Amino acid sequence: MTPVSHEPMEELLDRPKMRDQLVAASVDLGRGLARWRLWWLLGVGDIRQRYQRSWVGQFWITLSMLVTIVALGVVYSYLFHMSLREYLPSLTLGMIGWALISSMVTEACTVFTGAGNYLQQVPLPKTMFVHRMLVRNLVTFAHNVTIVPLLYLAFGIAPGWPALLVLIGLAIVTLNGFWIGLLLGMLGARFRDMPQMIASLMQIAFFVTPVMWRQDQLAPGVSWLVDINPLANLLRLVRDPLLGHVPTLLAYVMGIALMVVGFSVTLPFFARFRARIPYWL
Amino acid sequence: MASIELDQVTIEFPIYNARGRSLTGELFRRTVGGLIQSDKSSSYVSVVALRDINLKLTDGDRLGLIGHNGAGKTTLLRVLAGVYEPLSGRAQINGTVASLTDITMGMDFEKTGYENIMMRGVFLGLEPKEMRRMIPEIEAFTELGEFLTLPLRTYSSGMLLRLAFAVTTAVIPEVLIMDELIGAGDAAFVVKATARLNEMISNSHILVIASHDVETIRRLCTKAALLQTGRIVRVGPVEEVISAYLTPNATTAAS
Repeated sequence: MTPVSHEPMEELLDRPKMRDQLVAASVDLGRGLARWRLWWLLGVGDIRQRYQRSWVGQFWITLSMLVTIVALGVVYSYLFHMSLREYLPSLTLGMIGWALISSMVTEACTVFTGAGNYLQQVPLPKTMFVHRMLVRNLVTFAHNVTIVPLLYLAFGIAPGWPALLVLIGLAIVTLNGFWIGLLLGMLGARFRDMPQMIASLMQIAFFVTPVMWRQDQLAPGVSWLVDINPLANLLRLVRDPLLGHVPTLLAYVMGIALMVVGFSVTLPFFARFRARIPYWL
Repeated sequence: MASIELDQVTIEFPIYNARGRSLTGELFRRTVGGLIQSDKSSSYVSVVALRDINLKLTDGDRLGLIGHNGAGKTTLLRVLAGVYEPLSGRAQINGTVASLTDITMGMDFEKTGYENIMMRGVFLGLEPKEMRRMIPEIEAFTELGEFLTLPLRTYSSGMLLRLAFAVTTAVIPEVLIMDELIGAGDAAFVVKATARLNEMISNSHILVIASHDVETIRRLCTKAALLQTGRIVRVGPVEEVISAYLTPNATTAAS
């Protein structure tokens, strides 16, 4: 075998292909959306598969959320010396919102590694698998949200018109979920310790984000720490409307800013590395 | 009108987790596989699966790929299927492509036969309407009857193969890509499957098949290419390439 002169791959990549890459990335985005039927079915299928043949089926999602909320609610209302009436509503909506945000982020890492059998067989648009992950999480959220009317009944809450703002909140969270899924999906395919790393980070994030506690429990001097926490702001956009409050302007500004920054980092990154995803699997 | 054009295509797989770079390099150098390259100045290691592939196929071409394990046949098929976009060189594939490499892809064992048929249609990008129109034909071909209303996990492997085969061959592509001939099931079904496959092959515009079975290549192909450590060392009339493949010395001389 004769030795072959060899260029490292990084050099091959630096050739002026940027234009082609950007075009290919946009085509991928467009085709990804166009295949809605496929990602919808795959996303819903993921949920169905997880709970098929179990007794209450996918309502295990709701049930386990309910159990967690009741258990935490009882314990922490004691710890915080609050009545259930005072504590449980914000805990419930906090948990439901957090479950959506955190599972989007953790599942983002396996968007492409979990699609290896497809991506190595057929040239499907890569972004399609991000949509699949988002569908899966939104369907889970829809199951959890059925707890909310129970909560309203139990505590006689009427959230009024601000509840509608939850749709805007979900839209902002989902759009953020898209760039996170694309970015972490690529990083997770390339670096296989991403899922573990992100899972531990999200664990920490859970404690520094006001899910189980409330921002007004913090000393006034440090309450800004919550305001600059992007996850806390995303959470506000989903939680506050369902509690009957209009989220603060800051929450919207932060949510949209996160989206703008996220997309402007992710899209060039995606353009550059899109073609390499199957090589990493 | 379908066409395939590969121009100086090189496919290289980075190996990131090869700690014992020199050891693995030594282990693989003289056995099967592509060229393992390592850049001494960095920790960069890669396998060159395909190198400088030039290939031009047009309507009516039936190309057989031969070569030892690890010569790059499957990688080349995946390039042709559009899975690996070359990072170096250019690949232009015009026409609808179907790859019969994993015929059970996307099948969900919890879903029924019918649901899986529809699912495959969605994979192919067909409207549910179009796919529903194909159901009677698939029903007849698989002879699975009532079983199509049951989840796939209740199927035997032979039944599963029947269904997978039927849905995979339901739509005839312009470019057909195969990794070995797919054969299926019991004696009665084999006859049917072979007939169906032959129909599919003859109706596709371009066929590319990789096989270790020289007879398959002789029977189906009009030309052949011999791959060796990621290069096409010979391409031309079937008999010529096969004899080069069967006499190892001749191929070394050709490269």
